[in-house]
Amino acid sequence: MTGVISGSGQWAYVVAAYALTALLIAAVLGHSWRAMRKAERRSDALRRDRT
Amino acid sequence: MHAYANPTRFLAIARPLTPWLLGLGTVLLLAGAWAGLAVVPGEAKQGETARILYVHVPAAWLGMGGWTALAVSGLVQLVWRHPLAGIAARAIAVPGMLFTALCLATGSIWGKPTWGTWWEWDGRMTSMLVLLFLYAGFIALTMGDTGGNGGQRQGGSLSRGAAVYALVGAINIPIINRSVVWWNSLHQGPSITVRGSSIDGALLWPLGLTLLGFSFLFGAIVLMRMRRIIADNRVAARLRRLADDEGSGV
Repeated sequence: MTGVISGSGQWAYVVAAYALTALLIAAVLGHSWRAMRKAERRSDALRRDRT
Repeated sequence: MHAYANPTRFLAIARPLTPWLLGLGTVLLLAGAWAGLAVVPGEAKQGETARILYVHVPAAWLGMGGWTALAVSGLVQLVWRHPLAGIAARAIAVPGMLFTALCLATGSIWGKPTWGTWWEWDGRMTSMLVLLFLYAGFIALTMGDTGGNGGQRQGGSLSRGAAVYALVGAINIPIINRSVVWWNSLHQGPSITVRGSSIDGALLWPLGLTLLGFSFLFGAIVLMRMRRIIADNRVAARLRRLADDEGSGV
């Protein structure tokens, strides 16, 4: 089949797929964690100010 | 279920659960990725590229599972007005879109060495692309969903329009699932069904690890985003009370 890649050339595609997966998951995990901590710190600080 | 409608009760469970899901998800994902890359042999016909299966399939399942959960949340909000349902739907949308994009990207990377093309407008790929656009539409719809508090409605709930959109969008899920049966496709047919798997057990087991790892991490992301929305809502409510107190001279 035209364009089909075999042999060791396939590893570049495998590594690209895994690297993209790691990068995207790490980015969304890091962003969600930071946003959650910031919001909860703000909420806690406001509650302390009220009491 | 209504027992957990109270955000305080929900947080009592979500706070200790978040680090467990994060830790277990990371360990399982790393173990599955290591097994998929270094332990199992290459596939007889596709060679090494078949290893992309261990990240592509969980991403696809979570992209579709995410919209299913989003539609259920929309239904729960419409029917029972469960306070956490709208918050859950908002929290699911971004990771759902991310895993759908990841499925499309890894599928494209897998397609080039296997089919000789990055993309083909066939049923499976096109319906998955439609799912990505549905997520984008839902995020845009809920971001602009009345003013104040970062574009969120009071209490984090969804508008009726957003909830209906989530339900209507669910029609795409069975279409994605059956697309490789209904239409001719470069994409392979269903290899894992309720009746079993056509993939040999020697190649299949790392998929269980990555599937669990992805699912736990997806759960951790959703819990973190729900906690952020609840904290933002509390800040907004307190600021409103403060403004009311000052307005009434208390």
